[in-house]
Amino acid sequence: MTTTETLAAAARIVNGTKTYGDGDAAVTALHEVNVEFGSARFTAIMGPSGSGKSTLMHCIAGLDRLTSGEAFLGDTLLADLKDKKLTELRRSEVGFIFQSFNLVPTLTAEENINLPLSLGGRSGDREWIDTVIDTVGLRDRLSHRPSELSGGQQQRVAVARALASRPTIIFADEPTGNLDSNSGSEVLAFMRRAVDEFGQTIVMVTHDANAAAAADRVLFLNDGKIVHDMSEPTAERILDMMKSIGS
Amino acid sequence: MIKLALRGARANLGRLILTLISVVLGVAFVSGSFVLADSLRSIFDQVSEDAFAGVDAQVRGIENDMNSTDGEIPRFDDGVISSIAKLPEAQYTEGGLFSFERAYTIDSNDEVVRPTGPPVFTGSWGGPSPVSSFRILDGEPPTAQQVVIDPVQAERGGFEVGQDITISLPFGEPEVFTLSGTIDFGEGGTGGAFFILFDLPTAQRVLGLPGQVDSVVVAAADGVSPDELVTAISAVLPDNLEAVTGEVVIGEQKEDFGSFINIFGNVLLGFAIVVLFVSTFIINNTFATLVGQRTRMFGLMRSIGASSKQIMQMVFIEAGSIGLAASGLGLVGGLGVASALKQLFSSAGGEFPEGPLEIRTRTIIVVVIVGMGVTLASAILPALRASRVTPLEAFRSGGKTARPLTVRIAAGSAVLLPGLILLAIGMFGNPGGTAATLACIGIGGALTFIGVSMLSAMFAGVVAGFIGQPVAKLRGVTGRIARGNASRNPQRTSSTVTALMIGLALISGVAVLTKSILDSFEEVLSESISADLWVFESNQRLEFSGLLVDQLAELPEVGQVAGFSPTAIRIDDEVLTATGFDSSTGTSVVNMGIVDGVAEIGREGIAVLDTVAEKRQLSIGDQVDIEFEDGYATSLNVRGIFDDASVIGADWLIDRRLTTEHRITDGITFAGLTYADGVDPAAGRAAVEATTSSFPQLSVQDNTEFQEEAEGQIAQLQIVITALLVLCLVVAFFGIVNTMVLAVLERTREIGLLRAVGMTRRQLQSSVRWEAAIISLFGALLGVVLGLLLGWAAVIAIPDSFVSKLGIPWGQLIVYVLVGGLLGVIAAWFPARRAARLDVLEAISTQ
Repeated sequence: MTTTETLAAAARIVNGTKTYGDGDAAVTALHEVNVEFGSARFTAIMGPSGSGKSTLMHCIAGLDRLTSGEAFLGDTLLADLKDKKLTELRRSEVGFIFQSFNLVPTLTAEENINLPLSLGGRSGDREWIDTVIDTVGLRDRLSHRPSELSGGQQQRVAVARALASRPTIIFADEPTGNLDSNSGSEVLAFMRRAVDEFGQTIVMVTHDANAAAAADRVLFLNDGKIVHDMSEPTAERILDMMKSIGS
Repeated sequence: MIKLALRGARANLGRLILTLISVVLGVAFVSGSFVLADSLRSIFDQVSEDAFAGVDAQVRGIENDMNSTDGEIPRFDDGVISSIAKLPEAQYTEGGLFSFERAYTIDSNDEVVRPTGPPVFTGSWGGPSPVSSFRILDGEPPTAQQVVIDPVQAERGGFEVGQDITISLPFGEPEVFTLSGTIDFGEGGTGGAFFILFDLPTAQRVLGLPGQVDSVVVAAADGVSPDELVTAISAVLPDNLEAVTGEVVIGEQKEDFGSFINIFGNVLLGFAIVVLFVSTFIINNTFATLVGQRTRMFGLMRSIGASSKQIMQMVFIEAGSIGLAASGLGLVGGLGVASALKQLFSSAGGEFPEGPLEIRTRTIIVVVIVGMGVTLASAILPALRASRVTPLEAFRSGGKTARPLTVRIAAGSAVLLPGLILLAIGMFGNPGGTAATLACIGIGGALTFIGVSMLSAMFAGVVAGFIGQPVAKLRGVTGRIARGNASRNPQRTSSTVTALMIGLALISGVAVLTKSILDSFEEVLSESISADLWVFESNQRLEFSGLLVDQLAELPEVGQVAGFSPTAIRIDDEVLTATGFDSSTGTSVVNMGIVDGVAEIGREGIAVLDTVAEKRQLSIGDQVDIEFEDGYATSLNVRGIFDDASVIGADWLIDRRLTTEHRITDGITFAGLTYADGVDPAAGRAAVEATTSSFPQLSVQDNTEFQEEAEGQIAQLQIVITALLVLCLVVAFFGIVNTMVLAVLERTREIGLLRAVGMTRRQLQSSVRWEAAIISLFGALLGVVLGLLLGWAAVIAIPDSFVSKLGIPWGQLIVYVLVGGLLGVIAAWFPARRAARLDVLEAISTQ
């Protein structure tokens, strides 16, 4: 199944298959998946547990390798890269937002935001980082440690960190999964603004139909395959779709 | 439950193995100390039994509390031999004469042949007899101008039986003797000592003791028991002699050797206990961390019905199995340690007799008790904590609550204060007896270390953060993360480095003390000494003939010369030490700081140290009743009061003519001299050396050489002690490895996150290593500061006559701190690699 996009792809997978284990115990997590993620688009990936949505994300993000097929980040073929190059690519071209435990507890909020940049020995675009900090509303929390921040604030720091290096693509893995609905909506709103105002590309894996409804497009996975590609989603349509997949 | 515990142990095998190593090291040291001491004891027991195997009775001078100076035993007239030999109860009678460090063989290069450490005995041997302590190995017994020596000496000197060899003698010029044979002491070799044996008349002649013996050994006639023999002999003995059975002699001999071996063994055991003590911190830390990490599992077990007692048992079974394994390995390792210790002491100048290493049942029992005990005791607190885990904690995520700061300060102080008090009592007070002093210092020191370790958790975070400052500056975010990790868990940081802290505290304490001794010594040399040259026995500072003083005085190159001879004296029924010196010339070589009267006290005079004079209310002109070693009693006139006893080494000074006449020997321990006016030092020295050449055991040194030699000797002692204490650092090293492994494991998720957002493997490794470096630097710094304080306290506690000022070896201390840091970096090598190899995805998804 091929997906056409109007804008150039920030990342894509061609015939991607991922199997874990060997022989009888082999599990296929992705099955010849072809997908492109358009630039400056907010894409959500949904699917039941074990459908392969996390694997898909990990493989494009350079955290995991495909068993066969090709994964590109921009124009870079990930399979060609050794660990060091891959790490550097993640540092500069990929932003991550995890469900929980997003921040290094020993670093302040500001240090966490700058982490990928400082790991690369860069100071980054100060003006841009200031804009990001203001956007997520963390100006007065910069010197706090993660343990002194609320869950929502921690996720906002994570969003800021992901944005700080202006990566080609941001991957968010259940970014609102651990948040109450207010904080969740806030974080989603920031992600939405990053796409709309700054032209950021975001791919988000989520279980939550309401979260997915904030995206421009929702991909539905089941049994390692993309079973549906929904544009301009609403929570209702997503829920219906999920039901049909689940049944 | 046992199965579960063992399974738990197996699951954490890697970590437990590291803990095991630290226990094994301590246990092996304990077992090694026992093995070495037992083996030595066996060897020397055998030597004693062999040596006196045929002796039924021995006649000797009665020692009183004053006449055993410098290891020489009383001599007596050999006329008694014939009266004993006439007894029908005596089948064979033989007189003997022995002395040590008097004569030496000289090899073809004109070098003195002597062992490093053990003494050289010179004495008599009449050939094989029922009572002989020696047996011939090769050749014939000595007669007339002949000599026999031990084979080790013969080999060292390149001497063949039948060859003429030159032997230096205590009186007069060296003489040539024919080597008639080689001998062995008992059956067990000579224990490293050298023997030079002549027939009795020759021995009496060369030792300057004509007609004298120091023992008569007797074999009983058939059917006469040793006791009957002793009774018979006693009847014909004069008052100053006594007869004892061979059994008594053997017993005394064993006891003599035994007491030395006990001291040696106890010193080793002391080090072993220090190492064990250090390893308890490692064990405790490991178990505390393991328990902390398994809180949820314990909670789960509690919720499905395990009692808190069972949980505690589980931890104890785990600890017990480690203790048992460590005991077994340590016991075997003890053999290695014993061999290594032999090597260490041999390389430092001691010589050990050959013999097998033996493990006694007592050693096995002690080792198992110690190994198990230490491990179980270290696991008590963690086990208690584990037992307090509530079922609810299975469902709570992580986050153990630290004890509040105030509780920790209170607990730490409650341990530290009594520790310091005991330490102070041990060092400055007089708790009564050496054992009590050592116990006070030992227990006080241990409590002090525990207390400091507990309290150090208070500032570990801050200090580690401070130490990490430059690292954070220099290494960017990698350094900042390292610094953050080093200070995030102060409790763990402090307990991790406790072993390092203690090890380095002891090592630097020793360094401070050594430097202080040397500095004090230098001060003594510069302030109290005015001699140009010193003459003394270079091996063990043994006595040598006072005749040398007269010979030196005759040299035109020599201005003034004075000899110094320690002696026992009795004043007011108290046995004291006095130094006899040439009072007419003494002040020209030594400045004893006369504060009243004169140093030229003359034959009828005596000088007293000012503090002693005050205590005894003595002043110039008073008479002092004094008794000498030979029983001679007289009254001396107080003519001088002095305040510097550092060179003299005694509180009383008398004229050397008195000691020459009323001691067993005429020996002196050192002589000092000045050159005559206008004599070129080189020429003066050459003349002195020409005179002393007939006493090859003597060294001639000026102040600089004297100081250098003392420095060398003290430095060597420091090296041996430091080498033993380094074992603490080895234990500490494994402790750091252990903690870093645990820390990395605990932070798997964080590491995954860091890797995901772009930390390279290299950066991660570097950050883990820096973390360990910061932690270790903290421990090293703490240790060195503590060591400085300990050394300082020791300097205050030790009498001024030995150590008078504090010397701080800054260079060494800085090196120790850096070594500590480096130790951390090396210890983190493996954990850092392990962290870097973690799979990013798995790490992130770890719970």
